[in-house]
Amino acid sequence: MAAEDLPSEFDVVILGTGLAESVVAAAFSRVGQRVLHLDRRSYYAANWASFTFNALLTWIQQHHEGPQPEEVQDWSSLLEEGEELIYLSNSDSASISNLQVFCFTSEEDEEEETPNTTEEERGAADEDAVKETSESADLKEEESHQKPEETAARDGEQLTNKDTFDLLQASQNEGEEPNAHQPTPIAAPSQSEPTRKKISYAQLVKEGRRFNIDLVSKLMYSRGSLVDLLIKSNVSRYAEFKNVTRILTYRQGKVEQVPCSRADVFASRQLSVVEKRKLMRFLTSCAEETEEQRAYNGRPYLEFLTDQQLGENLQHFLLHSIAMVTEDTPTEEGLASTRHFLRCLGRYGNTPFLFPVYGLGEIPQCFCRMCAVFGGVYCLRHSVSGLLLERDSNRCKAVIDSRGQRINCSHFIVEEGFVGADRKRVATPPRFLSRAVLITDGSLLPSESEQQVSMVMVPPAAGGPVVRMVELCPSTMTCIPGTCEDLVHLTCQSVGSAYEDLSPVVTRMFRTPESHDQEKRPSVLWCLYFNMADGSGLEAEGHDLPANVYVCSGPDGALGHDHAVRQAEDIFQKILPEEDFCPPAPNPEDIIYDTENTSTGEDERQDREEDRQEDVREEDRQEDVREEDRQEDVRQEDRQE
Amino acid sequence: MSMEDYDYLFKIVLIGNAGVGKTCLVRRFTQGLFPPGQGATIGVDFMIKTVEIKGEKVKLQIWDTAGQERFRSITQSYYRSANALILTYDITCEDSFRCLPEWLREIEQYANNQVVTILVGNKIDLAEKREVLRQRAEDFAETQSMLYLETSAKESDNVEKLFLDLACELIREAKQNKLDNNDTAPMPGEGKTISYLTCCNLN
Repeated sequence: MAAEDLPSEFDVVILGTGLAESVVAAAFSRVGQRVLHLDRRSYYAANWASFTFNALLTWIQQHHEGPQPEEVQDWSSLLEEGEELIYLSNSDSASISNLQVFCFTSEEDEEEETPNTTEEERGAADEDAVKETSESADLKEEESHQKPEETAARDGEQLTNKDTFDLLQASQNEGEEPNAHQPTPIAAPSQSEPTRKKISYAQLVKEGRRFNIDLVSKLMYSRGSLVDLLIKSNVSRYAEFKNVTRILTYRQGKVEQVPCSRADVFASRQLSVVEKRKLMRFLTSCAEETEEQRAYNGRPYLEFLTDQQLGENLQHFLLHSIAMVTEDTPTEEGLASTRHFLRCLGRYGNTPFLFPVYGLGEIPQCFCRMCAVFGGVYCLRHSVSGLLLERDSNRCKAVIDSRGQRINCSHFIVEEGFVGADRKRVATPPRFLSRAVLITDGSLLPSESEQQVSMVMVPPAAGGPVVRMVELCPSTMTCIPGTCEDLVHLTCQSVGSAYEDLSPVVTRMFRTPESHDQEKRPSVLWCLYFNMADGSGLEAEGHDLPANVYVCSGPDGALGHDHAVRQAEDIFQKILPEEDFCPPAPNPEDIIYDTENTSTGEDERQDREEDRQEDVREEDRQEDVREEDRQEDVRQEDRQE
Repeated sequence: MSMEDYDYLFKIVLIGNAGVGKTCLVRRFTQGLFPPGQGATIGVDFMIKTVEIKGEKVKLQIWDTAGQERFRSITQSYYRSANALILTYDITCEDSFRCLPEWLREIEQYANNQVVTILVGNKIDLAEKREVLRQRAEDFAETQSMLYLETSAKESDNVEKLFLDLACELIREAKQNKLDNNDTAPMPGEGKTISYLTCCNLN
């Protein structure tokens, strides 16, 4: 079946399965457009993906190796009279850079922790044994990232010739420091929590398919455009969500919970009675715009807050954790984001945020499912090599897929990474996000419940960027179930490399071999740094492409998902201005299929689905089914012969 | 939603190569229809059928692949939170049987650890065209600790049995789990749908 060809007639062809592309796909399919949705990768969601730990190791490995050299095929023979060919880039390798991995935990389980796994006891005695037991795919990874120095020495040439991986440099920089992979003070069980089991690298790999790690770190505002869209379209039925349970703040070396709901404020032990009253008064007065607030337009929010006589404590909370802005953000902007925060509060829980179980990578997939349910055709590991341009109209009339098949379409939507550099109008230097993913052995602020999802804004220190941190717990399926292990995501706008931007914060807030006097902090077991292209600069730059080709940018640095949703909606409205964007899909729960009376369900459905195009689609689909049946008959005949 | 009249709700997910008759099995069971081409499936996400087993009402939510299996591009989220998987192949098509290990890898990767998997050989009405011997399939199912059943969606052979057996097995497991974890701590991954979150936070 691998050889089956794609159908060759579509209304919309979409390349890339990131969030914006997937929302667009669902939107078009939902109103009866024939959609073909492709991704060159073997997984969904592009740079929005969530990976199991093992799949993440593979992803890291692929980026170390750099793009597979792929010969550019010459499809010019497929051109017809008056047509021109635009080649697309066959990889998006530029969007990820400066990948660095550190493992600070022991490679093998310590003896007392492995009561029943003989396999690993053997492994502890002989390092190679574990390598034998792990799959061959893992083997390369283990070698390449686990022991930075060794690898660098062995594969030095290979690693330094590319901008992707400067482990060599990193390990040289740390020449003075304790070796990253050596058992370090953290491993000594005598210090703070003698009873806590320390998770070994072998265990992370073994349990690696049971937790999911996101490439981007975002949260869903409970009244943000993504949640609204999920509800409106009924795509929400494909996913499950958890509340973010705490907003934390980091100040003067201490991690504290920010009281943000009314109940929190009254229950707070950090705030004095006077502070509580002030905070409540401020939050209430914020809700509506006043003359007084307008007087501060254009002046820093901090100035406004200072003049409200709130005191330093509250100012800090309001500025960094609630408005999540910087000291020089203008007042009107600070107030707008404070209001947004307050509006989202209490819809689902006592913070304004939701997080999807299994990670953010689920969300684009949910939209893809919706697209498929309405007839969209899906094919991963399949790309578009080029666009066929009609010279007279300067429109893209077809695409050539990676197998040289010509697929006609009226519109083509593409993830920015696949657009060749020669087609980008670069006005400003590309911006990047710095990301770190840490697997830690506990929460920054331990509490009675181990199932906390926390958001922490770390104010800038010494001219560094503001760092946003999200700490996830096992119940979101992002860490090993049944452990105190947590997964921490750090994100900021890049100033330098991800390591340069974020490792000072990591060292300050967690225990690593570089940090000292941090006994009370959770230890970092494993961490990954990388930079990702910031998708928010796209509109300004633009592309030199036909009018019916639309570009979706990758993830942006904001906390919410508004950028991608807006982009999807804009594209949809440009192409189909009259159509509703993602109208509710019929709820299968409402369709009662009855074995005795088969017509009931159908009639009900027909009544609801009055959309004319919908009916056309249904006829098409029936034809498809008949076509399939015919093909099947042919196949069966073949076999008979 | 909590008002609904059932004792158990299970999500059952169908997988297997294109053309093995997954949709036919669902339509036969939920609507008594064959072939399914007579009613369009477009826009229908999953089908519901409530059955009664030993006096208990069991609501089965049966999900189909939406055609994403055609080019091996099923979303991982499709497997999430499934209580049971029906892995289907066509007994008249050796190829669909040979692909089973590939499907099992996907299950291993994305489905919940406790998922109940049943292997189904469909199209036994085409006995004269059989390519996969029953014994072979039974042996394979056994090595993978799966249940095995042969069905004909066309003749309605074993279709009812397939879903009812699954429902029984799921009830048994649910009762067992209740015994095993008598604490009320939430199970990992037991998130809430948005609509559920909404209705529980009205206060």
